[in-house]
Amino acid sequence: MKVEKILSLPSMPAASPSYPMGPYRFVNREYMIITYVTDHELLLNAVPEPLVPNVDCHVLYEWIRMPDSSGFGDYTESGIVIPCTFNGEAINYTCQMYLNDEPPISGGREVWGFPKKFAQPKLQVSSDTLTGTLDYAGQLVAMGTMAYKHEIAPGGIEATAKGMTKTQCNLKIIPDVDGKLKICQLVAYNLTDVTIKGSWVSPARLHLIPHVNAPAADLPIKRIVGGRHFLGDLTLPHGRVLFDYVKDQAA
Amino acid sequence: MKKSDVLGLASMPLQSPTYPRGPYRFFNRQYLILNYKTDAAALREALPEPLEPVGDQVSVQWLDLPDGEGFGAYAATAQIIPCKFKGETCNFVSQMYVDNCAPLAGGREIWGYPMKHGDPVLKISSDTILGELHYAGTHVATGTMVYKHDAFRERDLVAECKALERTQITLKVIPGVNGKPEIAQLVAINFTDCKMKGMWTGQARLELVPAVNCPLADLPILQMAGGVHMVTDMTLPYGRVVHDYLA
Repeated sequence: MKVEKILSLPSMPAASPSYPMGPYRFVNREYMIITYVTDHELLLNAVPEPLVPNVDCHVLYEWIRMPDSSGFGDYTESGIVIPCTFNGEAINYTCQMYLNDEPPISGGREVWGFPKKFAQPKLQVSSDTLTGTLDYAGQLVAMGTMAYKHEIAPGGIEATAKGMTKTQCNLKIIPDVDGKLKICQLVAYNLTDVTIKGSWVSPARLHLIPHVNAPAADLPIKRIVGGRHFLGDLTLPHGRVLFDYVKDQAA
Repeated sequence: MKKSDVLGLASMPLQSPTYPRGPYRFFNRQYLILNYKTDAAALREALPEPLEPVGDQVSVQWLDLPDGEGFGAYAATAQIIPCKFKGETCNFVSQMYVDNCAPLAGGREIWGYPMKHGDPVLKISSDTILGELHYAGTHVATGTMVYKHDAFRERDLVAECKALERTQITLKVIPGVNGKPEIAQLVAINFTDCKMKGMWTGQARLELVPAVNCPLADLPILQMAGGVHMVTDMTLPYGRVVHDYLA
């Protein structure tokens, strides 16, 4: 294999790269997001400086069905997002993510630093309930339930689409071959070409079970704020470095 | 979390790092290694420059790893291509499939092991050592070997032991946030503190099914060259960069 081909590889392995070059288009991506209030001190510990967590101590627990994702296929994801500020600007920090498909795990971690692990999330309509579950290493660690399409979301699909373009960020950590940190950055990105096809709000409940390797319950639920359910198409482009911990330490 | 604590993390995510710091000790690591002759041109294409082929023999291996420190219990299938780097005979690890996220993420991110998620199984089935691999729900490989037929042989195992300690080479490619390669290196790894607990050789057969995302069959089987079955304890230490494509 020639050097030019090696340098044009989007990912490992060379024999069949896990994921192709982006951007990545998602069609009929379905979200259930349950917002809750958690403990202030624990939230501070979960958010890396220089991000500052929101003063309301809101946490977003999400399930996302992705039946048609270019480069990645058909999979489901579940995880935690924390609204924060960076230099005073609103930004969503992705805190934990669990999914059942390797290319978006490898690509997510290696390109943008999404904190992804392999698990078995599920999002489905069960009778009158939109139900999300997450199993990790064979054990149930999260269950969310939401009433089914009780009310159109305030502002409708336009407001939801606008909210989806909010800047999001991850803590990307990639070690070097000697175990020391090679990459340690906050990476930001913005979804583009967002089309929302339906958006609803409804009552919701969330149950989190302590598990050491999927510690969603480490941010305990003090109060449920509500549930959001929406469906749309969007594009995930590459990202940009917002903050570099290695350079900051050297400076 | 304070910036200084962020810099002390072993891996993502912050609240429960996927893998701890190494080195990583493995106990009762069992191998089924199936050697075969393949097409020389296909082998040449699978080896990244400046690695050079040595002969036309490659192997598909199944590993059962019941006790991997930091990683847990899992199984793996790998394709190994013997090669030369600066005059030294090495093993290029061209493909790997594992059923556990911690070694998968750590393997890719630290050493550049070319790991994807598959469902490998290595087990004793009646009189046969059986290796099976499923990828995305489809059967893609089956290896079989006779069970300890040469248990009472009288010959030394130096060659097989040396093969286990032979330098492994991986092609580590990690993109930057813009999708272009930020890391593109050949990484060398040498297992340490290898303890051979048992080793057997014998007749073996291998079947590879063409599959686009698990292309073991792209190195076709022209002739079988026998199997090796072994049980070891060994340590996987950190690696070293031996070639940097971006330098």
